[in-house]
Amino acid sequence: MANTETALKDAMTSIEGVIGVALVDYTSGMALGTLGGGKELDLNVAAAGNTDVVRAKVRTMELLGLKDEIEDILITLGTQYHLIRLLRGRGKNGLFLYLALDKSRANLAMARHQLRAIEADLEV
Amino acid sequence: MAHEAEVREVLARLRTRTADLTAAVAASVDGLVLAADPPVADAEGIAALTAAALGVGLRLADTTDRGAFRELLVHGENGYVATYAAGPACVLTVLAGPRVNVGRLHMEARRAGARVAELLDGEAVRLEDS
Repeated sequence: MANTETALKDAMTSIEGVIGVALVDYTSGMALGTLGGGKELDLNVAAAGNTDVVRAKVRTMELLGLKDEIEDILITLGTQYHLIRLLRGRGKNGLFLYLALDKSRANLAMARHQLRAIEADLEV
Repeated sequence: MAHEAEVREVLARLRTRTADLTAAVAASVDGLVLAADPPVADAEGIAALTAAALGVGLRLADTTDRGAFRELLVHGENGYVATYAAGPACVLTVLAGPRVNVGRLHMEARRAGARVAELLDGEAVRLEDS
């Protein structure tokens, strides 16, 4: 099992083309941990903003009467992929992993696969 | 208070930009209301209590060597009340519901605090000029 810090480090080093990664509590919009990002991507701002994205989608599904769960959300920009993966399991509800990838260097299928593995190993 | 309308505009913008934010009050650090949005009935009470909490907060930050005051957050069962620094003489106190996006609240309120500080700073300079 990996703690938050290890999981973020794992995502940052093992996934190709990562710009930044964050573990976010979407009940409060605050990040439990962030790694990478730097000047061009403020991960605390991303955490707050993407909390609104997740909440909007949860609400939309309620309105549509969809009794289902969000596994992940992919946002494709001109030069980046943003991947949001909602966590499941004991002590992990209400959290999501946020991954920003450089589109030219990333392998999306591989990134999703690796993020799933990192989530399974993560203990908060 | 020549700038009251402008400060209230900053507060109104803060409120529209942050979902679940119910009220915002700009007050001086000694507990006087500068502006409130919406015009809440108890703005004076909120400003006075803010000044009291600020006194304790400042002393606590000072005693534990945490430096100058930035913000104060109280999380109750029915929501949040938070105070943000807006320059050396003024603070911003906001009331928010329990479901508020605290990350966004911090982001928007810090920005609004800086804007209010700018407005009041301009005022101080103008008073000295006259």
